[in-house]
Amino acid sequence: MMYEYNILPFRFDHFNEEEYLLTNDVGEFLFMKNEDFEKFVNHDLDPKSDLFMDIASKQIATTDKVEEVVKMLATKFRTKKSILRDFTSLHMVVPTLRCNSSCIYCQAKRHESSDHSADMTKKTAKNIVKCIFEGPSPYIKIEFQGGDPSVDFEMVKYIIEEAEWQNLFKKRELGFVICTNLTLLTPEMVKYLKKHKCDISTSLDGPKDLHDTNRPLQDKSLDHHEIFEKNVRMVRDIWGDADCVSALMTTSKYSLGRYKEIIDEYIRLGFNNIFLRSLNPYGFAKEYKDKVSYPIEEFIKNFKEGLDYIIEINKNGEFFVEGFAALLLKRILTPFATGFVDLQSPAGVGIAGAIYDYDGSVYVADEGRMLARFKNYYFKLGNVNENTFQEMFNGKQLHEIIKNSCNECLPGCADCVFQPYCGADPVRNYSVQGDVVGHRPTNEMCIKTKAIIRYLMEKLHEGDPETIKIFWSWIK
Amino acid sequence: MKDFKIPVTEVGNGGFQVSVDLNIYSVDAVTATCYKYTDKFYVHQQTADEKTMNIILEAKDSNATVSSETVKQFCNDLIDQQVRVLVNRDFGHIRDLIVEEAFKPVNK
Repeated sequence: MMYEYNILPFRFDHFNEEEYLLTNDVGEFLFMKNEDFEKFVNHDLDPKSDLFMDIASKQIATTDKVEEVVKMLATKFRTKKSILRDFTSLHMVVPTLRCNSSCIYCQAKRHESSDHSADMTKKTAKNIVKCIFEGPSPYIKIEFQGGDPSVDFEMVKYIIEEAEWQNLFKKRELGFVICTNLTLLTPEMVKYLKKHKCDISTSLDGPKDLHDTNRPLQDKSLDHHEIFEKNVRMVRDIWGDADCVSALMTTSKYSLGRYKEIIDEYIRLGFNNIFLRSLNPYGFAKEYKDKVSYPIEEFIKNFKEGLDYIIEINKNGEFFVEGFAALLLKRILTPFATGFVDLQSPAGVGIAGAIYDYDGSVYVADEGRMLARFKNYYFKLGNVNENTFQEMFNGKQLHEIIKNSCNECLPGCADCVFQPYCGADPVRNYSVQGDVVGHRPTNEMCIKTKAIIRYLMEKLHEGDPETIKIFWSWIK
Repeated sequence: MKDFKIPVTEVGNGGFQVSVDLNIYSVDAVTATCYKYTDKFYVHQQTADEKTMNIILEAKDSNATVSSETVKQFCNDLIDQQVRVLVNRDFGHIRDLIVEEAFKPVNK
């Protein structure tokens, strides 16, 4: 018999041989046996059944007035997209391209420590700060990148103090982060950073031999990992807080098969989270692909093993978070918005984060400035010494890029069951596949993200109470 | 070209012709596909009848020959461009609303 109910928009895919996975625009999800799915779409499912109640609770179908359910969906959708409310809040500033490292996957085209040709001038720095405060966001985070910004610490101080001065009038919620390999930080610098509430973000690729292979210092007589370890302790001692310094890891081909050691090293050094990050195909990583890169399937295999290991660590009583899984789980399990420049829809490029190069050029993302080194200015929005905020951040170019980065309307994404949890990266698409839209069937980012979301979905579907409890602890 | 059956035929001067079914592909999708090939080929579009468009591609490099891989890729690119047209038709209005929302803070 035909039952009376309205089916609302949803996406679906085979999850395994016996079941379908259903999701909707606001990220609700449901597993359904094949025969139940057929009954449901053919209006043959009893609206009084437990399964239908479950479906209705996720706003995938209703026996009530459609308008009421649509209102509820609209509220949830607005919440999910609330990251769009404030516009760009992350401003990455490159005071210099000088660096004392020579990372094998460098994405910044570093300069030698003695080469001052790519140092920022005070005039440019002042204009950058002025431009940043012309944005409408009530939150401003200035992140110093490089090179290694600690090489030109005087410029870092100048920008911090200029921003603090501007903020006396603008009254924004202002914060700073410095991304550094830590090796050049002195206690005086750390005290300054603490005083000015500038968080420290660093890079740690694993145990000594691996870290030093991926991230050697230019001065071969120095032991990078040893200095790193000493300075992590120094920073924490001065700060009096173990969480004052966070670390990011990058997977080179030398890291494959070593995730357990890498995770153990993070724990040994007192970190309580890790972001198992694959190599971005930019800069040296693109130029020397054969030497440092690997098939994306290798990364996926390692990620799954790493995640399983981290879950086991948590089960044994140690709180330790995998950052990428935590981000995706928050999208899957909660109605809340999660901004993540590299994976959101529309993409975060320009509208969530922007990068200001040493010469005042403004790019939507880091890779934009790499392309500009090869005379390709597609992702350059302008220059703070020549253009206004409106010209750069409300110009035709940024509109065009954003228009092509909504996964609600991208081939291969629009009908993907994982679309509500995913995002677009037009810069990566352009860099790797030749246009901002990209081609999903051959897109490594798509292959990786889908595989990881599916793995998390499998864990959720297995329903091991301990694992579920651990997942919730990661997103609180 | 022997391993590639219909609807491809070889023409002179190292070129090839693909007959495109306009019941499946829109003219916009066909043109967008052709445009991608204008770097290495001279491209000519011609309506054969109401339901068919012929595309003739001839290599710019007179010494080059057209491989079957190129033809196969052209057919795959047709699908890619047609999907772009379809998602834009079906979901473009949602995308436009989202983009409008994204730029609202700087349009005040």
